[in-house]
Amino acid sequence: MAPTQYYYFTEQPYTGYDPAVQEEHPALRLTLPNSLYDSELASELYNRYHDEYQVADEVGFDGIMINEHHTAPFCMQASINITGAVLAKITRRAKIIMLGNPLPVVDNPLRLAEELAMIDCISRGRLVSGVVRGGGVESLANNVNPAHNRERFEEAHDLIIAAWTRPGPFRWEGKHFQYRVVNPWALPLQKPHPPIMVPGTASPETVIWAARHRYPYIVLGSFLEQTQELIQIYRETAEEVGYEMQPENIGYLIRCFVSDTEGHAQEQGKNFFWQNGALNKQPREWMAPPGYATVNVAGIRRLRAVSRAFDSLAYEEAQKNYQVVVGTPGQVIEKLRYVRDLLGVGHMCLWSHDGYMTHQDTVRSIELFGKEVLPALREA
Amino acid sequence: MTTAAQVYQEERMALAGTELYLLKGGEGRPLLVLHGVEGHEGWLPFHDALVPKGTVYAPAHPGYGETARPEWLETIAHQAVFYHWFIERAGLAGLDVVGFGIGGWVAAQMAVMCPQNLGRLVLVNAAGIRPQDSEILDIFIIPWKQVIERGFYDAEACPEYHRLYGGEWQEFGGPREAGRTMSIRMCFRPFMYDSSLPGMLGKVTLPTLVVWGGDNRIIPPECGRLYQQAIPGATLHEIERCGHWPQFERPDELAGVIQTFLAQ
Repeated sequence: MAPTQYYYFTEQPYTGYDPAVQEEHPALRLTLPNSLYDSELASELYNRYHDEYQVADEVGFDGIMINEHHTAPFCMQASINITGAVLAKITRRAKIIMLGNPLPVVDNPLRLAEELAMIDCISRGRLVSGVVRGGGVESLANNVNPAHNRERFEEAHDLIIAAWTRPGPFRWEGKHFQYRVVNPWALPLQKPHPPIMVPGTASPETVIWAARHRYPYIVLGSFLEQTQELIQIYRETAEEVGYEMQPENIGYLIRCFVSDTEGHAQEQGKNFFWQNGALNKQPREWMAPPGYATVNVAGIRRLRAVSRAFDSLAYEEAQKNYQVVVGTPGQVIEKLRYVRDLLGVGHMCLWSHDGYMTHQDTVRSIELFGKEVLPALREA
Repeated sequence: MTTAAQVYQEERMALAGTELYLLKGGEGRPLLVLHGVEGHEGWLPFHDALVPKGTVYAPAHPGYGETARPEWLETIAHQAVFYHWFIERAGLAGLDVVGFGIGGWVAAQMAVMCPQNLGRLVLVNAAGIRPQDSEILDIFIIPWKQVIERGFYDAEACPEYHRLYGGEWQEFGGPREAGRTMSIRMCFRPFMYDSSLPGMLGKVTLPTLVVWGGDNRIIPPECGRLYQQAIPGATLHEIERCGHWPQFERPDELAGVIQTFLAQ
């Protein structure tokens, strides 16, 4: 059995505006005026976040998890592949864990296959190529028909795998994508192709799809009981198709900040609430446009614990139910072990930076992970 | 006054890989009434008002709940093919058509496609043409309740608003979810228009009436003028103090305008 892998994660938030403006807008995304965007600050933040990735690589994280959102200030990565390409050159050991490329909103999946192959080659085979459907609002932001979301997800996936593994040239005549020539002159270094992972929060459809393809499913911070339900769906699907689910089939993203003192860690951990409930404030038409999903949207909302507005009770509850883990190395080691062993996951994504945490505090947290937390977790 | 239950009946017809659901009432000259993005809201006082002068056929479009979407049907042009198929199967060639909103777009497309199947054409607040000086309200990114309300000039004063939308509001799912999905499927991008439509409408020789709500806050009145300009000989009738749903807000007045035009 492969040992559990530990990944560093930040959403790369753009923090140069006051989240209180959410009172004046349907949500902190999509139509939030980009006159609130300061490119000077953005330039600083991008470079700072990249510097922190380098520290995470040096101190021994097994991977760096990255993601992508559009017209969303809480995530500056409008292109996961650009961050991936940067990581390919500025880090040496850590896997580049993309969770993931939103396939349905991509109009040219062949180019995506080429870009990913380049990143795999440039990084000398460190790419983990995750794929997602993207929330409904990503379809609106990219103006791709929400009613075609699942079809495009599946067809783009099939096309990318074919582009990587099937000798070209060949033709592709699909429902949503057509190519007279599929014959990319950029192929992945890893054979038959880079590992694929699938993150998600709620959709059983996606869990089943991942399990059928034997792709690891990474639960993005859902409550532990709901995570266990999703894992059970994976386990049952795996049995149906004839294999036994292993820890490496399952991962979990957890918010976790470490500091030298408990008081400082507690203070900094409040940054995980920096948007003050904004994630939960989103019209139904954005989160799940008609045609996008069959799942009950109320169920999705229930999963978003840290989406609540901040108050001391919400913070206390989030810590009690392991949505947020903060403390000294000794304190977080114990909690992370509990979560890892309860869920039996082979991938732990550690969301270690958010909001207004300073560069200095972030680097210290990453160093404490490397020196104390990760060695202890690998020990037992 | 006759009650609605006495003047119409439900019919189902196997057609084009699905089963078409429609309400039919009255006798004589056939009139096809195509609903808009609001979906098939059953037999309306507006239908009642039309019945004395002919037979009203009020189908639910494929994809809008009562009529399932056949796998092949994805676009407005496909809807137009579907309704020509219906006309031919039902032996109704020469019937008049009234279309609302995207149903008006379907009717316009039908007129371009196969005019010999049709008699007179009425386009009410029809989608399908891109405005030049204003914008069609983006009904796919605002809450549906707001869309419905913005479609009225004065929702509070309208009995049909209270009858149809006054009850408990279901944000997700429910009987209208299928229709909203189908509208997105057909009209998401480009949003609510076909840039070739004005050019194609130049071949339409059917007598055509364009009707617009003077206070339409979903599809601007500018689009009514563009329809009139695009179809040779078309006339434009504007209803003052009326929004996107004259079939709900002014059923009798609208029926009168349509009947006068059909009788010419």
